[in-house]
Amino acid sequence: MSEPVPAAASLAPTARRWTLGHTPQERLAYKLLLPVLGIVFVIVLLPFLVALISSLREGGDGAFVGGQNYARALRNPLLYDALKATGLYALIVLPTEILLGTGLALLVNRVVRSPNLRALIFVFAIIPIVIPPVGVGVIARLIYAPDYGALNYLLQLGGLIQQEIPWLSRPMTAMLAVASVDIWQWTPFVYLVMFAGLQTVPRESLEAAQVDGATWWQQFVQIELFYLRPLLLLVLFLRLADVLRAFDAIFVLTGGGPGTATQLLSLYLYRVGFKFFNSGEAAALAIMVLVGMSLLYSGVARLLPVERD
Amino acid sequence: MGRSHRVLKVVGWLALVVFALIYLFPLYWLLNTSVKGRAELFASTPTLVAQHPTLEPYVTVLFDRGYVRLLRNSLVVCSLTVLLTLVIGMAITYPLTRLPVSRRLRVGVLNWALSLRFLPPIAVVVPYFLIVRTIGLYNNPLALVFVYTLFNLPFGIWMLKGFMTEIPQEVEEAAYVDGATRAAAFRRVLLPLMAPGLLASAVIIFAFCWSEFLFALILTSTRDAQTFPVGVQGLVTQFEIIWNEMAAAGVIAIAVPLVLMLAARRHVLAGLTFGVIREK
Repeated sequence: MSEPVPAAASLAPTARRWTLGHTPQERLAYKLLLPVLGIVFVIVLLPFLVALISSLREGGDGAFVGGQNYARALRNPLLYDALKATGLYALIVLPTEILLGTGLALLVNRVVRSPNLRALIFVFAIIPIVIPPVGVGVIARLIYAPDYGALNYLLQLGGLIQQEIPWLSRPMTAMLAVASVDIWQWTPFVYLVMFAGLQTVPRESLEAAQVDGATWWQQFVQIELFYLRPLLLLVLFLRLADVLRAFDAIFVLTGGGPGTATQLLSLYLYRVGFKFFNSGEAAALAIMVLVGMSLLYSGVARLLPVERD
Repeated sequence: MGRSHRVLKVVGWLALVVFALIYLFPLYWLLNTSVKGRAELFASTPTLVAQHPTLEPYVTVLFDRGYVRLLRNSLVVCSLTVLLTLVIGMAITYPLTRLPVSRRLRVGVLNWALSLRFLPPIAVVVPYFLIVRTIGLYNNPLALVFVYTLFNLPFGIWMLKGFMTEIPQEVEEAAYVDGATRAAAFRRVLLPLMAPGLLASAVIIFAFCWSEFLFALILTSTRDAQTFPVGVQGLVTQFEIIWNEMAAAGVIAIAVPLVLMLAARRHVLAGLTFGVIREK
């Protein structure tokens, strides 16, 4: 799989030393691991099997229908609306969060020198990340709602608009509202990861570049970006996984509406399964999502800068 | 350097302040709305500062609406989840870091746990619903405990692995030299040394669990089993939203994980990035 790393090399001799009798420790290891892993594996596998079986059956009477559920799922135009909405959401959210988060990290790294202030910013940046998405949905509702929304009120107060804007009842503004929630909540995460990454840039190389008269931009592109690249990949992938599971905040804020404007894939699946009670079609969709995600994951997994030892 | 440098600095500071304001305003607004009385809610324009702050909305939500019950459910579900996740997590992590298992197995388990992080819950919601209904655990908090344990396990394994590898094996080896059994070394040497790590993991898992919504929405149907986030959502989708009560419920929903995560803030990032980012 991945290349052997020094950590593994140093671990091996220790392990060897412990295997004196060879069997007892190894036996203990498997005695601990196998039952637990077995149970967990079954619990993970079970829903997959159940989904597979129900995707091949009729929702009502359970008759075997082969690939019909898949065909029906793929024929449903709402699926393509959902895919489009998910794509649009990802296209708005991912670049904004990554650019903004990285930009903020660079800014704070250059401008803020005091360790106390840096610690304070760290705490502030943690806050949105740990708020339950349902809570974020509630907050967003208070901001964007008609009649009582704070945004309209503030805009009117500032004289920027004369009439209330119905943010949540127009497709485009509703999508922006939903995206803004994601951006509000997750830009700080990108910031924190990138800021931590910037702390690993050796000061000497930056100082050398400064002596050579490199501008901020040159320092960023030629030195800092090199250290941030693996982290950018990690963040992009984690955020992508989260976009595909985005549900709670959108469910609370728009419920997928108006129409299907903010009905992302996860909300669509929920609707098929629990509003239309079409378990066959929902299971077929679930299987397709699982296969898609597995393919995506296996394609990118080895690029993740994660220490697997 | 000179003047342009200073100008850039000022602009940078301004940008940071503006950002901070944009970030904090929504939180302020939530808090502000949650302490408004009924009369103030129906004022023609929203008031920027609550005129007569009151805790009445909180009392209404918790007692008149009976949401204390949901708080209790959340507490029970999350505590059990933390316990189960840590026990299973330790049973997996200990052999992986302390016993001579093959490298392939170790890397395989860690990779598998990592891949679960990328499993969209929505894809297994339908099958879980069917399974839970079949085995008679629908609307039972235990169903949530099992599902939450499963979904927190990848995170738990990676976090515990991080904490366990930080403790040098020599400490336990010294105990073996003194004649301690493996079980004794685990209990009296490793566990106490890992206590801070276990506590941090517990706190973060509890907070994740507290925030979960999708499974709670689908696997429960009545107050007997619903968790607090489901109750919050129930206030939002009503025909007429009572803003102060919704905000008060939001504050309660937010407060618990916020306090916990801030307490464990030094480990949150390591957890979220599978140990890639470590705060000193």
